[in-house]
Amino acid sequence: MASELWVWVGALFTLCILSFLYKDNPFFRFAESAFGGISMGYYINLTFRNTFVPNLIAPLFHAGPAYSAATYPTREPEHWLLIAPFLLALVLYSRYVPKIAWMSRFALAVYVGYYAGLNMMQKLQGEVLPQSADTIRSFWRFLPERLPIWLDAQTRTVSWGEWISSLVFVIGVLAVLVYFFFSAEHKGVVGGVGRLGIWFLMISFGAAFGYTIMGRVSILIGRVIFLVDDWLGLG
Amino acid sequence: MTALFQRLMNIDRRWLYLLVGLAAVIPILLPLNLPVNVAQSVQDLYDRVESLPAGSVVLASFDYGPSTGPENDPMADAFLRHCLARDLKVLCIALYPLGGVTEGAEELQRAVGPLDPANGVLESTAFPGKFYGRDFVYLGYKDGGQATMRQMGENVHAVFPREYYQAPVTDYELSNQVRGYGDVSFVMSFATGIIGEWWANLVNAQYGTPVAVGCTAVSAPKYFAYYKAGQMFALLPGLKGAAEYEYLVKQKYGQIAEATAADVYNAGKGWDVQSIVYTIITLFIVIGNVGFLLERRQRRS
Repeated sequence: MASELWVWVGALFTLCILSFLYKDNPFFRFAESAFGGISMGYYINLTFRNTFVPNLIAPLFHAGPAYSAATYPTREPEHWLLIAPFLLALVLYSRYVPKIAWMSRFALAVYVGYYAGLNMMQKLQGEVLPQSADTIRSFWRFLPERLPIWLDAQTRTVSWGEWISSLVFVIGVLAVLVYFFFSAEHKGVVGGVGRLGIWFLMISFGAAFGYTIMGRVSILIGRVIFLVDDWLGLG
Repeated sequence: MTALFQRLMNIDRRWLYLLVGLAAVIPILLPLNLPVNVAQSVQDLYDRVESLPAGSVVLASFDYGPSTGPENDPMADAFLRHCLARDLKVLCIALYPLGGVTEGAEELQRAVGPLDPANGVLESTAFPGKFYGRDFVYLGYKDGGQATMRQMGENVHAVFPREYYQAPVTDYELSNQVRGYGDVSFVMSFATGIIGEWWANLVNAQYGTPVAVGCTAVSAPKYFAYYKAGQMFALLPGLKGAAEYEYLVKQKYGQIAEATAADVYNAGKGWDVQSIVYTIITLFIVIGNVGFLLERRQRRS
C-alpha cells in the first residue's frame, strides 16, 4: 500500500469516477466537479505565470516573479509595442460594464482577423494543397501505363501493394465524392456509385471507432496500473 | 441458438464492465509479453533517430496532459532514452495547457533520473555524462498553440525567455544554441487532440522542418492522412505505436531499458491488456451483430 497522501487522494478520486459504471452517484459528481474546478484554477495560474508574466509583464514593466535584469536589462523599442496587445486584453473586460461594452469588439476584431489570416495560410498551404497532391499521386499510380504487370522488375516504380492500395484509394475517393454530389438524383449509376461511397464511409467510421475504443481502453489501463502498482503496490 | 444470442444481447452491461475490469487487472499482475509487430510508420521514426549523426538536436514537444498519459508517456519515455543513447541532444517544450508542463517535467525526470538544476543537480543518473542544459533541456509550457509555433519559427528565445527552472535560456548551451526550427533536425510531438496536426500543417508546411507525431489512438485515423502525404515522416499511433517503438529500442539498447525501467510504466505491459480487452470487445460486437441478424431473420419469417 502506498504511504504518500497524494497517491491515496488520486486513488480515491479514480474510484469515485469509476463508480459511475455501476450507476450515477454523489461520489462521481463530486469527483467530476472537483476535476473541473481544479483544472480551471490550474490553467489560469499556469497561463499567468508561464505566459503573461515572462512575455508581457516582465519586458513591459520590469516586474513580476519571473523578472530578472539579466533577461531584460533594458527596455527595447519592441517591448513598448507590447502595450498594444496589453490594452486589447484589458478592453476585453469592458463587456462587464454595459456602457462601454462596445470597446471589447476592437480586441475581438483583431483576434478574429489574426486567427483567420493564420488559419487561411495554414489550411491552404498545410492541408488543402499537400492532401490534394497526395490524392493526385494515387491517381497517377493508378494510370494503366503504370500497371506493374506491364513492366519488368527493373523498371517497375510502383509495387503491386502500392498499386492495389492506389486503386482502392481512387475508387473510394470517387465513390465518396459522388455520394456527396447532390446536383444529380441518386439513381442508376450515380445511385450505385453513391451506395459504394456509403460503404467506404462506413469502413472509415469503423476504423475510427476501433481506434477510439483503443484510446479509451488505454486510459483504463493507465488507471488500473496506477491502482494496482502505485496504490496497492501489487505490480 | 437464437434464445442464447438473445440472452447474451440482453445481459446487464455491468457484467461486461466487470469482465473488462478483470481482463485489465490480471495481465498487469501476471504479464504475458505478447508479441509486437512493428508498423512502417513506427519503424520510420526509429530509423531516423538511428541515422542522425551524434550531436544532432531534436525538438520534443509534450503536447499532452495526464488524461492521455497512458498512451503518450511510454512513447515519450522510449523516445527520450533512444535519443540520449544515440548521443542526440533534446530540447523539450510543452504546448498543452492542462498538465503539459508537469507531464513534460515528470517524463524527462523519469527518463534521465532526478534533476534539480536550481541547486546544481545537472547530471543524469540514468545516462552518466549527460547534463541538463548541454544534452537535454526543458523550456516549459507556453500558451497560444499555433501562435507559439509561428513565433518560434522567428525567435525561440522570445517565446521562451526562461527555461522551466526559471534560468534565462541563454544560460544553457543547448537552449542558447537553438534559435529557430533551422537549428533542429526534426520535431517530435507527443500529442493529444489537434496539436500534432498543427506541427504538420504549420511548421512542416511553412518551414519545411520534418515532423513526427506520437498521437493518441483516437486521433490516429486522421493523422495517417498526414503520414501518407509525407507531412509527417513518422507516426506512433496510441499505445500500440508506443509498444512497437519501445520494442525496437529495447531490442538494440536493452541494457538502458533494463537499468532504468523499473519505475517506468512500460507500453508492453499495457499492450498485453489492450490485446485481451480488444479480443473481448470484438467477441461481444460479433455476438451482438449475429444476434441482431438472427432476430431480424426470425421477425421476417
